[in-house]
Amino acid sequence: MSDGTVIAGGGLAAQRCAETLRRAGYEGRVRMVCGETHAPYDRPPLSKAVLATTGAEDDLGLRPASWYTDHAVELLLGTRAAALDCTRHVVTLADGRALGYEQLLIATGSRPRRLGLLDGFANVHTLRTLEDARALRAALAGGGRLVIVGAGFIGQEVAAAAAKAGVDTTIVDAADAPLAALLGPAVGTWFADLHRSEGVDVILGATVAAATGAGCVGRLTLSDGRRLACDHVLVGVGVDPDVAWLAGSGLDPAVVRVGAEGHTGAPGVFAAGDATGTGHWESAARQGMVAARAMLGVGSSRPAAASFWSDLYDTRVHYLGDAPCADAATIDGDPAQRDFSVTFTRAGAPVAVLLVGRSHDLPNARALLAA
Amino acid sequence: MTLIATIDAGACAAHGDCEAIAPEIFAIDDVAVVVGTGPDELMLAAAQACPSVAIVVTDADGRRVYP
Repeated sequence: MSDGTVIAGGGLAAQRCAETLRRAGYEGRVRMVCGETHAPYDRPPLSKAVLATTGAEDDLGLRPASWYTDHAVELLLGTRAAALDCTRHVVTLADGRALGYEQLLIATGSRPRRLGLLDGFANVHTLRTLEDARALRAALAGGGRLVIVGAGFIGQEVAAAAAKAGVDTTIVDAADAPLAALLGPAVGTWFADLHRSEGVDVILGATVAAATGAGCVGRLTLSDGRRLACDHVLVGVGVDPDVAWLAGSGLDPAVVRVGAEGHTGAPGVFAAGDATGTGHWESAARQGMVAARAMLGVGSSRPAAASFWSDLYDTRVHYLGDAPCADAATIDGDPAQRDFSVTFTRAGAPVAVLLVGRSHDLPNARALLAA
Repeated sequence: MTLIATIDAGACAAHGDCEAIAPEIFAIDDVAVVVGTGPDELMLAAAQACPSVAIVVTDADGRRVYP
């Protein structure tokens, strides 16, 4: 068996895996099947700076092009993994090529969930790739009315970017407050108020019941009977692992289950990032690294609490830990000034921290959660 | 060279941006480690570039400069 390591996917987890292999002195062949036509790039700016300006595309690459030649990492652009044979150790690509591997990393990421009601309309967007961001930016450049379905972080970041660009923006979410399932209704309401104070309309407790228009959707009818005229729609209702290509391989084509070191149970097959259902930038990076180390038989240090960040109207928000398991929350600071922290506790012990405009408190927050 | 960098190993996800900016100060192993010294501005730039905010910079008196 030979031909080194195949990395199916070209996102952050894939990149961190390749880097970790080379850093550790791995000399085998490394091929990365990127799916998109771009070398690995940073996705978080897609819902932030890239929506505002074309110039922000220039620094998106996770590494300069020379890195891949310098480190003998072969990029297979514009084709994706289409089938896996765990017995023969072969990945077949959409373009028909068959890649033998000694070790495989499944890092094909996730795809945005769609709403059946809105499928087929030309002005309905999702946001996952650079092409998605370009299409949304082009649409918003013409102004008009944007309806964002889903008040998760993607939806909220797009709302902030669109409002800043002068687009008439409305967020619709099924819950009674944005992020209520994660942060609880009180903190969620702060996010709703934040958007409202910036001129964004936030409609809660409602879903899309009907969409009308020819070619483009021109009007949404909500479950509460309200009607919204729109020129653009963004659907931001979460993601699903992009692993349907594993059908027939013996691995679950809905979500790849892995052990702590990223191993799938199939010989030589590891997985990392959104493909495993974790869904956050930090964890994708960490899992890519951990899987690479496991491929080499090296352990990794224990990971820190889950964390992510968001930028909304020039305010940075950090979240660490596991708030849904909390039974109480304490707010410190001044929410009206976008300068506060929320400490979530369970039976008195800190389990999560939300920082708004307080990046400087991150080390303290981490220490609090690690204690 | 009055500033001191420490790395929160639990927070570091080995992105490698610090090493790219200031290789004389930072290197990546399992996580980033401080391997030397360098100009304060470079150290701060590397800390500010860390996507995980895992680099804490203090001055000689132990006061936190970043983040």
